[in-house]
Amino acid sequence: MNCRECVDHLYAFLDREVTPELERDIKQHLEECPPCGDQFDFEAAYLKFLRARCHTQGAPDELKRRVLRELFGE
Amino acid sequence: MSPNPTPTPPPVPVDEKRDSFEREALVHLDTLYRVALRLTANAADADDLVQETMLKAYRAWDQYEKGTNAKGWLLTILRHAFINEYRRRIRHPENVDLDTIEPFAVFGEIQDDDPQGAFFDKIVDDEVLRAIDQLPESFRETLVLSDVEGMSYQEIAKILGIPVGTVKSRLFRARQALQGRLYDYAVSQGYIKGTPA
Repeated sequence: MNCRECVDHLYAFLDREVTPELERDIKQHLEECPPCGDQFDFEAAYLKFLRARCHTQGAPDELKRRVLRELFGE
Repeated sequence: MSPNPTPTPPPVPVDEKRDSFEREALVHLDTLYRVALRLTANAADADDLVQETMLKAYRAWDQYEKGTNAKGWLLTILRHAFINEYRRRIRHPENVDLDTIEPFAVFGEIQDDDPQGAFFDKIVDDEVLRAIDQLPESFRETLVLSDVEGMSYQEIAKILGIPVGTVKSRLFRARQALQGRLYDYAVSQGYIKGTPA
């Protein structure tokens, strides 16, 4: 696997959406190629940051009450 | 009259519909709200959209095959309701030209000074959400389902009615566009040295 092929699968790899064979090939390339390793680490940090920043907000309690009231008359 | 023992009263009819709806659908209220909020970019509209989705879902509950993918089913309903009733009157600034994104431009800029992406940590939630809201709708919804809700490519493809390959390419461009915006913001705030991409 060359760098270009490796980077083409970057997000699919980080999203765990690649086949076990491809995952193995990518991991092997990353071990042998520090620049690609750095790039994958950076994008992994970015996705982790995105998830942490966006997942905090849940439905307000008032909306929960409103839904229950509408559905079940409570 | 013979003293027959009082017959055992029939069990209180358990409202099975309500029970299963609470167990399988209402538990996804937070997910529905987060997605609705990013689609509408407005808390009052998000409330209404979620409310409407839940009413529609409850009415159609008999058609849902219990124990399958309630979250995906609910999000499909939510998305259709959004397209039919909200999209027309909600205008997002769609000022990101996703066709001109240079892949991995930010990494190229920061790889010497901040290869770990430490500057991300200085960017607050509101700024990230604002940047997401600037993405074109089809890219925004793909990104939200993946990065906010953690859904698989296959699940997203099903909800959006598009091929998995399209999910991948939208996600790539959405993430790169968002990253570019966040980088520009970080530079403008002095969180990181550099020139806006």
